[in-house]
Amino acid sequence: MLRYVALKVGRAVFVVWAAFTLTFILLFVLPANPVDLLFDPAEVNSVPPEVRKQVADGYGFNEPVILQYLGRLGHALRGDFGNSVQSGRSVSAVVVDVLPHTLILAVGALLLALVIAFGIALIATSTQHRWLRNLVESLPTASVSVPVFLSGILLLQVFSFRLAWFPSFGDQGWRGLVLPLITLAIPVSGPIAQLLVRSFATEFRSGYVTTSWAKGATRSRIIIGDVFRNASLPALTIAAVTFGNLIAGSVITETVFARQGLGRMTQTAINTLDLPLMQGIVVFVAATFALINLIVDLIYPLLDPRLRATLSVSTARAA
Amino acid sequence: MSDLRSSIESAVPARKKWRWLAAAFAVLLVAGIGLAITRGGGAGAGAGAGEPVRGGTLQFALIDYQRSPDPQWGSNYAESLIGNNITDKLTWQDPKTGEITPWLAESWQYNKDLTEFTFHLRHDVTFSDGSPFNADVVKANFDQYVHGDTKLGILPNGASLLAGYIETKVVDDYTAVVRFDKPLASFLQASSFTANAQPGFLSLSTLKLSAEQRTDPKKVIGTGPFVYESWEPQIKTVLDKRKGYKWAPPALRHEGEAYLDRIVFNTIPESSVRTGSLVSGTVDATLDVGTTDEKPLTAQGFEIIHRGVSGTAIRFDFNSSLFPTNDIAVRKAIQLGWNRQTVQKTILTDSYSIATSILEPSVPGYVDYSGSVLKYDPDQANRILDEAGWVAGPDGIRAKDGKKLTVKLLGINNLVVNKPAYESIQQDLRKIGIDLQLTVVPIPDYTAQQAKAKTDWNITAANRSRNDPAVLNLQYGPSIGNGAYLTKDSTGVDVAAVTQALGKLELTLDPAARSQYAKEAQDILLDKYALVNPVYNPSQVIAQAPYVHGIIFDAQSRNHFVDAWKSDGK
Repeated sequence: MLRYVALKVGRAVFVVWAAFTLTFILLFVLPANPVDLLFDPAEVNSVPPEVRKQVADGYGFNEPVILQYLGRLGHALRGDFGNSVQSGRSVSAVVVDVLPHTLILAVGALLLALVIAFGIALIATSTQHRWLRNLVESLPTASVSVPVFLSGILLLQVFSFRLAWFPSFGDQGWRGLVLPLITLAIPVSGPIAQLLVRSFATEFRSGYVTTSWAKGATRSRIIIGDVFRNASLPALTIAAVTFGNLIAGSVITETVFARQGLGRMTQTAINTLDLPLMQGIVVFVAATFALINLIVDLIYPLLDPRLRATLSVSTARAA
Repeated sequence: MSDLRSSIESAVPARKKWRWLAAAFAVLLVAGIGLAITRGGGAGAGAGAGEPVRGGTLQFALIDYQRSPDPQWGSNYAESLIGNNITDKLTWQDPKTGEITPWLAESWQYNKDLTEFTFHLRHDVTFSDGSPFNADVVKANFDQYVHGDTKLGILPNGASLLAGYIETKVVDDYTAVVRFDKPLASFLQASSFTANAQPGFLSLSTLKLSAEQRTDPKKVIGTGPFVYESWEPQIKTVLDKRKGYKWAPPALRHEGEAYLDRIVFNTIPESSVRTGSLVSGTVDATLDVGTTDEKPLTAQGFEIIHRGVSGTAIRFDFNSSLFPTNDIAVRKAIQLGWNRQTVQKTILTDSYSIATSILEPSVPGYVDYSGSVLKYDPDQANRILDEAGWVAGPDGIRAKDGKKLTVKLLGINNLVVNKPAYESIQQDLRKIGIDLQLTVVPIPDYTAQQAKAKTDWNITAANRSRNDPAVLNLQYGPSIGNGAYLTKDSTGVDVAAVTQALGKLELTLDPAARSQYAKEAQDILLDKYALVNPVYNPSQVIAQAPYVHGIIFDAQSRNHFVDAWKSDGK
């Protein structure tokens, strides 16, 4: 068991280290001289060489690569990813600043997506009208195939520009959050809903349900009391994995709705080749993923007695 | 379902709840759409111009955001735009005539060599923290602006604008002498410069701060008509009116404080959201209007105001030392070989214009070449290529000595019309046997590729905003920007002659002589050696509600809001 934990923790640490190292290598593989990127492209040819050298020295770009690597790694271990080339602010501060905005968006969208997905599955399972079931079952496929960009703009057109119910841009309290949440939740709800519809159907046909029918339970009671609980577990697992989807979707959502956030910051960092900022974001996201995976890995044996049994057998054998 | 289950269930009365829910949802949806359709409408009636109204908040939208509130830093429009409203410059350039007029400096002299510029400053100017604006401040600003400060993380932002800067001498409280190690006629215009990394004056307390500390907007202190209220990166910057401001450039004839109480610069990256927000009244004006949005917005009662970006046109800089653009015949054929009317009609709007010189028409010294070198004459282009020995191959592309006439272009996609314009040129050039290959990329990729431009690219395409003819020397001077990559390998080009002709632009401020030198420089670049093919003049385009007035485009086409007001005063 201890070996299992050590293995999983080691893997998480490796993932974060690899993310750091890869982004560092990028810095030297990229065709750009990082010093050039600090100047206006129209004027970069007229920047005197001594100025270039001064700037390169200031950022430590003239030191040997290995020294730069070790220096940056040492700082990164203490949570210092240097300063953003484009703003002069500390990378960790910048990431910590925008993080809550993206977290609220991601967590909110995930919850909303779960509500939508369960709603779809409940309607599909409980309805006795074939047309309604067909309609509802086709929703997940549709929701995945509509681009986030398009649904965002459509929602804005109707509910913001025409009806003026919600603001069209910026972080203006809960009202500013409604449309982005819906936009981001729609595509994420698709896969979860599909899975749920299927497992609801499977559970609905299983033996214990027939027993309940026979005992005189109503349709809704069966769905709420038996099917819902048993069919939910796989959906919750996939919901956790969907976190990646949410971060990716937030890039577009945050851009369309002009919201502050990690997604848009990533895009800006890439657009301006702000390498310290890129590195900070990549390492941070990698660390988040590694952490979520680690938690899932560690919780799994607690939830699943079969895995726990396997682990104790292999530990016994090893000992 | 099994028969057993169906029969069990049919014994239970069916529930109708879902049906009701679905019906309710449908009703809501229809109501929503119906309301949406009826709510659609124009901007509403706006009052006409007339006496400026004081007060109100201007909600302004643009595509970029300020990455730092430090105005001496920064290379996007949001940064220069906002910097212009919280800081002032020594001089003001008249956007119509190009003349340099007083601002924080009441008057100035320069020595005959144009290496020493003496500025006599206004006595009544203060920073928003109450500290005085004087010659010490000018010195401290220019020193840091040119040299940067490694310890504070401040870049040498002004190093290329104030090339050869030695020092600023403080003669007395209100007299400062700026010295250079070689003649720099363009410095007078640089003292009014409002575009990227501009020389707007910061208080001594601000200059002591590191780049990181300058991201606290309250600590960034200028003398401008507005002061920072707040700064939210990626979202917005809010400016408040500076109380007691009374030193707007005299040329603007604006008395006293700004009219607006407040300006909110909202960052909206998505074009349709900017237009939608304008139409729905959430913002009062927006920059970065898409070319396809101009007409619909005008039709809905919004006003489009614009100004060409002074400096060089968007242009193809030919690499004169790389095959095949090392052949002047190829360069001349490219100048003559594309239809400018097609580009104007199908790609540009009325806010943009086709380039008729390398200089934009508002730059002093501009000469019109539309009737001579820069016209569409495919016959002439064909003749030139024939005479130079370029023979059409089976695919229609010419070749010489077994090598194809393939021209590789590197461009930037930051302006929406760039790529379509280049594609139109590509099609026309194909007809005369030139294979123009386009690589149009974002700014950082362009910057990265530009490092290899000398050996890899026949053409680099960009523009440069600087409303002074010396921009030609900065851009093409063989020892400075060297945009045409002139070397001793550049066939048939007298590099020394180019150096000398362009260099003259830094040697005099006499308007007549400068005009003459500007013409010589344009002749050399466009006609004699055909080192550049100007394409179109980019423009800054604003769409504003009818109740918005007085937004100024300055000589670099950046905006100033000291004179802006809203007739509804809201």
